[in-house]
Amino acid sequence: METFNFILYLMAVLTCLACTALLGRSYMHTGVRLLLWSTLCFVGLSISNILLFFDLIVFPTEVDLRLWRLFPALAGLLFLLYAFIWESEDH
Amino acid sequence: MEDSAFSEEFCGFIHTAIPSVSVAEVLLLLFKQPDRWWTLPELCRELPPDVNITETDAGICLETLRSRGLVEFDDKKLVRYRAASDVLEAQVRTLAQAYNERPVTLIRMIYALRDPKIQSFADAFKFRKR
Amino acid sequence: MIEFLSGALTLAYLIAALFFLRFWRRTADRLFLAFTVAFVLFALNQGLAHALTIYREPTSFIYALRVLGFVLILVAIVDKNFFSGKSTR
Repeated sequence: METFNFILYLMAVLTCLACTALLGRSYMHTGVRLLLWSTLCFVGLSISNILLFFDLIVFPTEVDLRLWRLFPALAGLLFLLYAFIWESEDH
Repeated sequence: MEDSAFSEEFCGFIHTAIPSVSVAEVLLLLFKQPDRWWTLPELCRELPPDVNITETDAGICLETLRSRGLVEFDDKKLVRYRAASDVLEAQVRTLAQAYNERPVTLIRMIYALRDPKIQSFADAFKFRKR
Repeated sequence: MIEFLSGALTLAYLIAALFFLRFWRRTADRLFLAFTVAFVLFALNQGLAHALTIYREPTSFIYALRVLGFVLILVAIVDKNFFSGKSTR
């Protein structure tokens, strides 16, 4: 069961990192600003998920990283919402 | 129909004249019976059942098409298909062909041209770029 | 502080999901549908984890929501790259 959790959380981290990489790569190729903010969003989510990984799997009892997890996730989402509100087209 | 049929000119035509799938549907309906004069209610009735637009929207579509030289109105507010040039005629024919043979690609192209930034988010997740 | 951040984050996930929903309707790209559902799941995960005053996310069904969200995103990425010929609606 522990191994199963380990794998699932690891998968979450890797998916987040993959999204970050794909969006970042696309931003470098195209220069579309929406992609920059989206990349930053997933950087935040990645940090949050990595900290979650440490919080629950690596150091389940020694530390509580809850506050540290929420900040980067929220910051990331604020970047994303800013991008969606200002940078997406209007019809 | 190969991908090469979606040429630069055709993409340009779509970008300037076909802002939405509804406009394409209206145009193609008119194109099917090029000598017929339509009233607005007739047009809305005979559109395919999954195309759901009001008469006001249809009017806006027709105005867009008129300004691009694809339809004409007469004094009694009836409308019919009429391409202003052979080039446009060819583009409409390509549109009809694309609609029949590659509808998904066509729809995606219409929206991609309209929302390039949003589309770029989705395209970022392709491993291999076109 | 944690309550404030947790609430803000839940709402942020939901608003992002609404944007993804709008993008799905405008572009007919299935990827956006996946992101919509994923972000709703993230919002649920965040909201429930706090509403049930769970100090940490335990090995319960709640974290499964988060994992499911990421699975959906993964599936969407794979779908886009290997099955892009299909219908989008």
